[in-house]
Amino acid sequence: MLGGLAGGCGEAPPPPGSLVVAFDSDPESLDPRFQTDANGARLADLLYAGLTRADATGRRVPDLARAWELADSRSFVFRLRPDFRFPDGRAVTAADVKATYEAVRDPALASPKRAALAVLSAIEAPDATTVVMRLTEPFAPFLDATGLGILPAARAREAGDVTTGAGPFQLLSAERGERLVLAPNPGYPDGAPKLHTVVVRIVPDELVRVLELRRGGVHLVEDAPEPEMVAWLGTVPSLLVRRTPGTSFVYLALNLRDPRLADRRVRQAITLALDRAGLVRFVLGGAARPATGLLAPEHWAYAPARPPRHDLRRARRLLDLAGYRAPRPGAPRFRLVYKTSAQPVRRRLAEAVQAELAAVGIAVDVRVYEWGTLYADVRSGNFELASLAWVGVTDPDLYYLAFHSTMLPPAGYNRGAYVSRVTDRLTSAGRQTFEPARRRAIYARVQRRLAHDLPVVPLWWEDRVVVQTRRLHGFEPSPSGDLRGLAGAWLD
Amino acid sequence: MRALAVRRLVLLLPTVLGVVTLVFAFLHLLPGDPVEIMLGEWAAPADVAALRRELGLDRPLVAQYVRFLAHAARGDLGHSIAFRAPVASVIAARYPATLELAAAAFALAVAFAVPFGVLAAVRRGTALDRVARLASLSGVCLPSFWLGPLLMLAFSIRLGWLPVAGRGGLPHLVLPAITLALGMVGILVRLTRASLLAALGEDYVRTARAKGAPRWRAVGVHALRNALVPVVTVLGLQAGALLAGAIITETVFAWPGLGRLVVQAIQARDYPLVQGCVLAIGVSYVAVNTAADVLARAIDPRLIEDER
Repeated sequence: MLGGLAGGCGEAPPPPGSLVVAFDSDPESLDPRFQTDANGARLADLLYAGLTRADATGRRVPDLARAWELADSRSFVFRLRPDFRFPDGRAVTAADVKATYEAVRDPALASPKRAALAVLSAIEAPDATTVVMRLTEPFAPFLDATGLGILPAARAREAGDVTTGAGPFQLLSAERGERLVLAPNPGYPDGAPKLHTVVVRIVPDELVRVLELRRGGVHLVEDAPEPEMVAWLGTVPSLLVRRTPGTSFVYLALNLRDPRLADRRVRQAITLALDRAGLVRFVLGGAARPATGLLAPEHWAYAPARPPRHDLRRARRLLDLAGYRAPRPGAPRFRLVYKTSAQPVRRRLAEAVQAELAAVGIAVDVRVYEWGTLYADVRSGNFELASLAWVGVTDPDLYYLAFHSTMLPPAGYNRGAYVSRVTDRLTSAGRQTFEPARRRAIYARVQRRLAHDLPVVPLWWEDRVVVQTRRLHGFEPSPSGDLRGLAGAWLD
Repeated sequence: MRALAVRRLVLLLPTVLGVVTLVFAFLHLLPGDPVEIMLGEWAAPADVAALRRELGLDRPLVAQYVRFLAHAARGDLGHSIAFRAPVASVIAARYPATLELAAAAFALAVAFAVPFGVLAAVRRGTALDRVARLASLSGVCLPSFWLGPLLMLAFSIRLGWLPVAGRGGLPHLVLPAITLALGMVGILVRLTRASLLAALGEDYVRTARAKGAPRWRAVGVHALRNALVPVVTVLGLQAGALLAGAIITETVFAWPGLGRLVVQAIQARDYPLVQGCVLAIGVSYVAVNTAADVLARAIDPRLIEDER
């Protein structure tokens, strides 16, 4: 039977010039009004144009808007490029921008992005290429919300999914759970993409994605496979493994509601007990950089700092000083519960942390949870230690959302209940300061403060590991993992 | 026979109701809020509350359950939270893929298992019998998450005969169908062999042989017909399990069926979709088993007499 099939077997070959990309899961929504997941965001980069987009340093750069200015501390004026077009050839105008933002702000639509526009009090379109956005208060991070993909005005309020944008590609077909096919948008102003189509295949199993790469059924994988698989793929002549510094920040969340973790000396001891360089080697095969904090060195607001040291003797002394001595020789000083997701990398990290903290007398019980359960526990403060990550950090206002004392869930992301008047004051000032140099100075102080207080234990910034066919040219992987680089790519 | 089919269909209702009730209860015991997962952490609490109200998740559990049953009775399975589409249409889009894979695996299993089981019984104690038993034991023991990648390495990477994964025609169907069928083949070979051996020892087979019936007729017509009754019953159970969604095989082979959909729905805490999937699976399972029961009685009419 197999022999009989062999003659006509193989994938139905995509047309020449078609690039096949593998995703691990289906994007939950392709509609920019509702998209919240990482794979949805990657496709949104290809399908839609927003007023602005983030560059590799986290700065906002022009997309649909060629320029913008602050008319006063509460008004942004955006000047649009006249040459962006939807796939039907119609030019994108200020009316489309206004309609899309107003639709998202409408509570009836129940868009998850409405909260990000809470400070937007009015939006005006005085002419076809000018958009004025008025804010309720001075709010510097507002530009971060201007990446919203713009839809045609006539469709912006439709209840069903709308996938018509002015990005470099348009959606040709979507078979949920199976594949999505994207074709170039002929009206894209920087020149229609050279790729014939981009086929996104949903391949949940990592080993199968790797085998598909090896076989040639997939041309590009952006989610880093396990280190040993990357090494194997590196030996395949038709494939190219590209490793670039990434911005995803992996850290240990600490629950400061726990009296032991509320003591800074204990947090410092945990930080000193971890050998970050060793963890990076053991857990990720070296595909990361030991982190000093939330912002990676490429970010415009990053303040250079020394990575935390690995010093077991000092860690033990701090625990002694905090009053946590071992009750008898060989017995642990105290016991912590460490919650993690079931991802293999996270499980390996948990085992390594368990071993390293045991060396200073802290016993760790590792509990592995499915993501929804872990997320619910972390949100409700039902954890002691947990390994988490921040992905796609752009504006440093994340410091406010993650560390301001009023930002306990559900209002924000301060899951560990960290309270610091200094951090509160600085992060509040950062939101209201527009001048870049002053803003940068404020966030440098925030970073120093957090490096001192240690509300979370920084671990590493993950590298971007992209595996692609050598036939793909003109594609530069971005630190955040977006795919907009495919607009200028081609296959030979 | 018709009365039997009607009786089974009547039993379908409480069975499915029981399954749906259990799933509803267990699903709501899980930690994790579907609205928070859907809207993300950055959603405003007011928006979370509004959507929860819109989806009816703010109501007491009993009220949610009654509402779900009332809607389901009218054929409305609700709206998927994650897919933002009617549950029925999401399931309908995935069901053909599961049906295709299950049918292929079922056909493969029957085509291989019954002849091998018969041969093993007829040639009891020979090398063929030992090979069949060893192979069937391996089929039951090999987990699909291991067997699937192994088949891919052999037939897709090394030999280049078949595609690695995905759905797209007969070549794509071969490896997942073999992976899924192998466990079933193992069970069926052993069952057919044991059942046929028992039948071959019966008086009526000896009588048939004594009256001059050739060996093939004694085995193929007299013994096999009786030996097939338990095989058909187990086939029904196995086919139901195949339709219930081969979660691991579908995940390994990137097969866009119901099994993968259930996993996705559970991860997203998409209650209406999980409930809809369970309903579809429950109905399929009971329907296939009803068909198997009817078939078993067609093969052996004494079973109908026993029930009277």
